[in-house]
Amino acid sequence: MIIQTLAFYLFSIITIVAAVMVISARNPVHSVLFLILAFFNSAGLFVLLGAEFLAMVMVVVYVGAVAVLFMFVVMMLDVNIAELRQGFLQYLPLGGIVGLVLLMELAVVAGGFVISPEVSERFAAPIPVPSDIANTEALGNIIYTKYVYFFQAAGIILLVAMIGAIVLTHRSREGTRKQRISNQVNRRPEDTIEIKKVSTGSGI
Amino acid sequence: MSLAPFPALLPALPEIFLAIAAMILLMIGVYSRQEQSARIVSYASIVVLIITLILVGIITDGRTLTFGGAFVSDTFGLFIKTLVLIASSATILISRDYLIMHGINRFEFPVLIVLATLGMLMMVSANDLISLYLGLELQSLSLYVMAAFQRDSTRSAEAGLKYFVLGALASGLLLYGLTLVYGFSGTTNFDSLTKLFTSEHVDVPIGITIGIVFIVSGLAFKVSAVPFHMWTPDVYEGAPTPVTAFFAIAPKIAAMGLFIRIMTGPFGQLAGEWQQIIIFISIASMILGAFAAINQRNIKRLMAYSSIGHMGYALIGMAVAGQLGDTATRADGIYGMLIYLAIYLFMNLGTFTCILLMKRNSRMVENIEDLAGLSKTNPAMAAALTIFMFSMAGIPPLAGFVGKLYIFQSAIRAELFGLAIIGVLASVVGAFYYLRIVKVMYFDKPEEEFDQPVSLEMNGVIIVTGAVTLFLILFPGPLLMGAAAASAALFPG
Amino acid sequence: MYVSAVFLPLIGSFIAGILVFIGANTEPEKKKNIDQMAQMVTVGAMLLSAVAATIAFIDVVVYGNTVVIKVWTWVESGSLKFSWELRGDTLSLIMLLMVTWVGSMIHIYSIGYMSHDNSIPRFMSYLSLFTFFMLMLVTSNNLIQLFFGWEGVGLASYLLIGFWYNRPSACAAAIKAFVVNRVGDFGFVLGIFATFLLFDTINFDAIFGLAEGKSNAVITVFGGEFHALTVICLLLFVGAMGKSAQLGLHTWLPDAMEGPTPVSALIHAATMVTAGVFMVARLSPLFEYSDTALTVVILVGASTAIFAATIACVQNDIKRVIAYSTCSQLGYMFFALGVSAYSAGMFHLITHAFFKALLFLGAGSVIHAMSDEQDMRKMGGLYKLIPVTYVLMWVGSLALAGIWPFSGFYSKDIVLEAAWGAHTGIGYYAFWMGIVAAFLTAFYSWRLLILTFHGESRADEITFAHVHESPKVMILPLVFLAIGALFVGILSFNFFVGDQAAEFWGNSILILSSHPALENAHHVPIWVKYLPLFVGVAGIALAYLMYMFAPELPGALANGFHRTHHFLVRKWYFDEIYDRLFVKPAFALGYGFWKSGDGALIDGVGPDGIAATTLNIARRAGALQSGYLYHYAFAMLLGIAGLTTWFLVTMS
Repeated sequence: MIIQTLAFYLFSIITIVAAVMVISARNPVHSVLFLILAFFNSAGLFVLLGAEFLAMVMVVVYVGAVAVLFMFVVMMLDVNIAELRQGFLQYLPLGGIVGLVLLMELAVVAGGFVISPEVSERFAAPIPVPSDIANTEALGNIIYTKYVYFFQAAGIILLVAMIGAIVLTHRSREGTRKQRISNQVNRRPEDTIEIKKVSTGSGI
Repeated sequence: MSLAPFPALLPALPEIFLAIAAMILLMIGVYSRQEQSARIVSYASIVVLIITLILVGIITDGRTLTFGGAFVSDTFGLFIKTLVLIASSATILISRDYLIMHGINRFEFPVLIVLATLGMLMMVSANDLISLYLGLELQSLSLYVMAAFQRDSTRSAEAGLKYFVLGALASGLLLYGLTLVYGFSGTTNFDSLTKLFTSEHVDVPIGITIGIVFIVSGLAFKVSAVPFHMWTPDVYEGAPTPVTAFFAIAPKIAAMGLFIRIMTGPFGQLAGEWQQIIIFISIASMILGAFAAINQRNIKRLMAYSSIGHMGYALIGMAVAGQLGDTATRADGIYGMLIYLAIYLFMNLGTFTCILLMKRNSRMVENIEDLAGLSKTNPAMAAALTIFMFSMAGIPPLAGFVGKLYIFQSAIRAELFGLAIIGVLASVVGAFYYLRIVKVMYFDKPEEEFDQPVSLEMNGVIIVTGAVTLFLILFPGPLLMGAAAASAALFPG
Repeated sequence: MYVSAVFLPLIGSFIAGILVFIGANTEPEKKKNIDQMAQMVTVGAMLLSAVAATIAFIDVVVYGNTVVIKVWTWVESGSLKFSWELRGDTLSLIMLLMVTWVGSMIHIYSIGYMSHDNSIPRFMSYLSLFTFFMLMLVTSNNLIQLFFGWEGVGLASYLLIGFWYNRPSACAAAIKAFVVNRVGDFGFVLGIFATFLLFDTINFDAIFGLAEGKSNAVITVFGGEFHALTVICLLLFVGAMGKSAQLGLHTWLPDAMEGPTPVSALIHAATMVTAGVFMVARLSPLFEYSDTALTVVILVGASTAIFAATIACVQNDIKRVIAYSTCSQLGYMFFALGVSAYSAGMFHLITHAFFKALLFLGAGSVIHAMSDEQDMRKMGGLYKLIPVTYVLMWVGSLALAGIWPFSGFYSKDIVLEAAWGAHTGIGYYAFWMGIVAAFLTAFYSWRLLILTFHGESRADEITFAHVHESPKVMILPLVFLAIGALFVGILSFNFFVGDQAAEFWGNSILILSSHPALENAHHVPIWVKYLPLFVGVAGIALAYLMYMFAPELPGALANGFHRTHHFLVRKWYFDEIYDRLFVKPAFALGYGFWKSGDGALIDGVGPDGIAATTLNIARRAGALQSGYLYHYAFAMLLGIAGLTTWFLVTMS
């Protein structure tokens, strides 16, 4: 138990520190690296909760795909960090005060948190005991039945994101070569191959 | 552990149809010939939206839940969805000329509108914090893309980026509020929340209250209420005009629908907590909408402030619904609000169609001065725009007056006199800039004529919206009945 | 009959009014036709009205069929109920008869007098409109309708005084008449309110029925208790003073002579200015119960009579002399009313209407002949050139001076005898003032006659060569009025104040037995009876002496008593005092209010201030919109932080 507690605090602290570093690091590449660190530690928290599947998805998808993509983008764009930071110090005092006030207020709110005895009764879907059922099976049981609506809605959101990305960035340039399968299939030897009689020794 | 039963799909049939249709439209767009695709998909989208409208009408029968209580279909939803679907299909209709002119006539545009509309329908039907959020995000994401649709224009791109970043921030606030509510109550379902707050907990945990504050803030961003309105003028100005038209109408109405549903539903009994915020943002929106618009020269910016003001007026109805006590009075507030939103739809649709007609030598013009002397060069359009402006200013006997009348009446009945008085004063100030447009059109020296001819669709939209605005006072029956049924659905018993 | 008598002038006025618009843009020949049409219509309507009034008069007065005709219901609001009703009793019908006939004559006269004017239809329309309002006034059956007519004639008077609106003096005179009347009307309105307060009704019959019961009622004004009927009567009398140009509120009448002469004759001599007299007579059942009010009426009337007569002696404008004379004669009527000799006052009113209209129209004829010259100092020697006018002016002057057997003799005599017959201190005051005024009246009348018609001509040659007798259309009404001035007095003396008076008046006038002045008037000492005639002759003699036989005397007198002379020429300094007391301060106040109150305070804080503040706020609100993303995000965070703080503070 004590190990779990220690692990929880370790992961949590590293996650928060890494998150702070993401926004405060001077070099955007470092930011992305801290982001990856935060993701890893979140995955650790999931493991502690017994949600190994989510932990693995976290690592594979976020670290493996998203964060790496970020890294590419950041390196390709060559963002001028100094420009972005212009005015940061100028607004820091005021922004800092407001942020601090908000933070303290939220701490007060969180301080009032109690798990009322009835809460567990109201849980829409109680977490199954990990030993009874595997992670993936538990998810599979509900994701296409009880939560099919949410799942599909999320799917459509991703579709929109995809459409958006294409709409905003895709351009058909002059001179780009596209693979047209029908053209390839329909291509016949007569169109492309010219058979020439070459008399020996004379060249073309 | 056995599998949970598969939920009933019928109550969500319109949404399911719309989702599938959107994907089919996408396929049609991709596989039809390039020059034809946009036209085909546009008209097909309108047909799809109309079929959805019919389906919504057929399906809605009392209050039905599905997807484990995450989705609700009721008369209130019917009312809002009808408005949203009308707005979306009309927007597609009036946007075609603009898109063709600016070389962005792509089939993705109607598809995005359809998907945004789907998000709106989901928002309106949300009966769970998660479905609320998913619907909202689906809608928002489509809108972000649309704001930047004219990607070669820096203004459009800037608008899209601004909207996206601020929208993400607002989503964050909203999500934080949702988690607070979930954390302190243990449920995301609206019905459970309603039960929870009506029965046992007399003293509401502070986490719920602050959660509501965050949720209200997030939703206030979506309806562009002060102080979460800052994005509105910039985005309205920068986005392509048809997109602005769409922004001003459908998402506002849908977000208001969602706002009403969550505030009167799960948090209905906590009105004591949130009424003050609503009163505050309502007053702030009315005042800012009235004052800030005065100095605007760009008509799209002006319309942005105008819509901020209008949302302020509509929120009066919500404040009335937050007056704990007599259920009839609370329903009255929503009733007024729904009437206001319906009228808002027609006025804005007409106005934006007129704005879309402001083109000279195949270029759009957006300044108020460009309307100078319109009464001489194009008397019909000047007359139509005058009707819309007078209506927005709330001058009897036009529709806008009816809307304001019901809203202010409900406020007075709920004894929220301060709100009603500020509302009336703000509309007096607001009348100034609406009437200034009329003055420019009728009394200033004529500018060059706008391009002719006007397409049949746009003429049709202007005539229909103009007629509704002008004659609503004569035949208010259907609207009043619909709004009454819709508001009654929220306050059973 | 009765209804048509009242409404025919209105119809005439309407038609003429429409013709104004039709004639506005037509060429001269057609305009001539339209002018003629307007004249025909209005004159025709007036004559028909006069005939109808005569028939009604015979029906009501001769056969004694007093009527009240309800035209339609006007107001029914709580206990305030009144209708448009035409009251037909002797008092109303005398006035009706006089107004319609004198009005008709003046309409006819106007055809000639205004023949060179550009706006004939407008003039005729106004004139008929005035007649309608006047008829409405005299036939009213409640105070509100009376007030309607009262204000209506005020309006018509304003329009007609300012008829030549391109003359600044005419506009100023019109405004003056309107404003001064407003002062009186204010009293009148207050009187109506007080009446309603006391009686809970404003219908004449109801008030008269209740008056006796309320004769001791009190009313609380500003904390003090006053005799209710006295308050009411005094307030109403203030109204009468305004309309009838009595001392204090008389200043508008001389200036009103800026209007065309027929207007002066009709409105400012014969009819409108007598409305006050009529009103007091009509309300005799109220005034009878307030000795204080009656005393005030006598005091004001007698003082006006002498005051106006003194001024009339030194005026040089022919119309102003007659205007002050009118003022003075109205004073006679009022003190007659004050001693409860209502019928004597009314008698003088009727006879005065004829001879004063005659004098005015005669003066108009002279002015017409002299090419619009009104100054008597530039006249003289006209009697050979315009003999008919000369004769008619003589008739009018004789009547005015009260020489037997002209009608003025009968009415003025009975008025003075009644004043004597009151046997009260104030009555004797009125009598002696009246005698002196009668002397002055005769004097200034003949001064006018001699200056105008006798002696060497003082006009320039062109004007003098141009002098001509007026056309028949102007002379004919003069003849009619002259006949009236000759015979009305002798013929109607018996009915008004003689043996048949009680039967003639019926119930329309109430005189309490404690006020026997009129009865006593028939039993006065012989010297009282003949003194007026004697002073009249003496006045004429003095005028002849001073202006015919010793023309240097007036100048010498004026130099000898130059202070007195100046005092009279300046009209007792009334205009100067009012100017200093009311007009200048009012202007200053108005200017102050305009500049500091309206300009700085109301405009500054109100429209302009709000507009400026609005723009200012708008600018600031616009400035907030910086366009920077992080500003916007920060604003949102501020919003959420603010709301959260607010809630945490209010919750805990």
